[in-house]
Amino acid sequence: MQVELAQSPFDPTLRLAAFSAALEDEGAVVSFTGRARGRGADGAAVSSLVLECYRGVTLQSMKAIAADAQSRFAITASIVIHRAGPIAPGEAIVFVATAARHRRAAFEAADYLMDRLKTEAVFWKREEHDGTSTWIEPTARDREDAQRWRDKVNDNAGN
Amino acid sequence: MKQAQLDIELCGRLADACGPVLGLAVPENGLPVTAMLDDLASAYPALGEALRRIRIRACINETIVANDAMVRPGDRVALFPPVSGG
Repeated sequence: MQVELAQSPFDPTLRLAAFSAALEDEGAVVSFTGRARGRGADGAAVSSLVLECYRGVTLQSMKAIAADAQSRFAITASIVIHRAGPIAPGEAIVFVATAARHRRAAFEAADYLMDRLKTEAVFWKREEHDGTSTWIEPTARDREDAQRWRDKVNDNAGN
Repeated sequence: MKQAQLDIELCGRLADACGPVLGLAVPENGLPVTAMLDDLASAYPALGEALRRIRIRACINETIVANDAMVRPGDRVALFPPVSGG
């Protein structure tokens, strides 16, 4: 399990190659890259996305989420890299990769990591456009996506 | 009672009203988070409105704490509004 808070741009393809190269007999690798969009939800051009963090606490929150994924799914390795600071459109904001003996655990763990990072990781996010800036909150959809995993725990507990 | 100066870091949108770091005089033997928030709102009325409106979590020395935790001079203190996630 590897967790990083990156202050400068990184290349997700290189990180995926390094992650894969270090594996042994895993049959499945799943990765996800989240990229900064050039337009906001209202269609306005975004000059940069700024992710503020509180380094020690932010890193702790990312590690806790990664540890939960590691204990919840049958994955053998995972990596989470998250940018902080100003991010230009097209740059990677977040990269996760998971490896497992079989594909289902790798897919689910990557999905789970992203749903929780999107709602719980300690970041404050704003879009900058045309000299103004707008704070961004998780959307209702983000919250529903994160809730799915809590519902699954409850379903399992009830069965 | 002797007082000491404490710097409080404001994260995210909390910094919009008065900037990212504010000084506050606190008792030398410390005070609970709730009292610190009240004093901060009195000293910086523009921030006071945000403090009332937004659910705040206090962070002392890199740990998120409950509102009855004590803040002491020399602590590294930050106030977090609700996080936006990554």
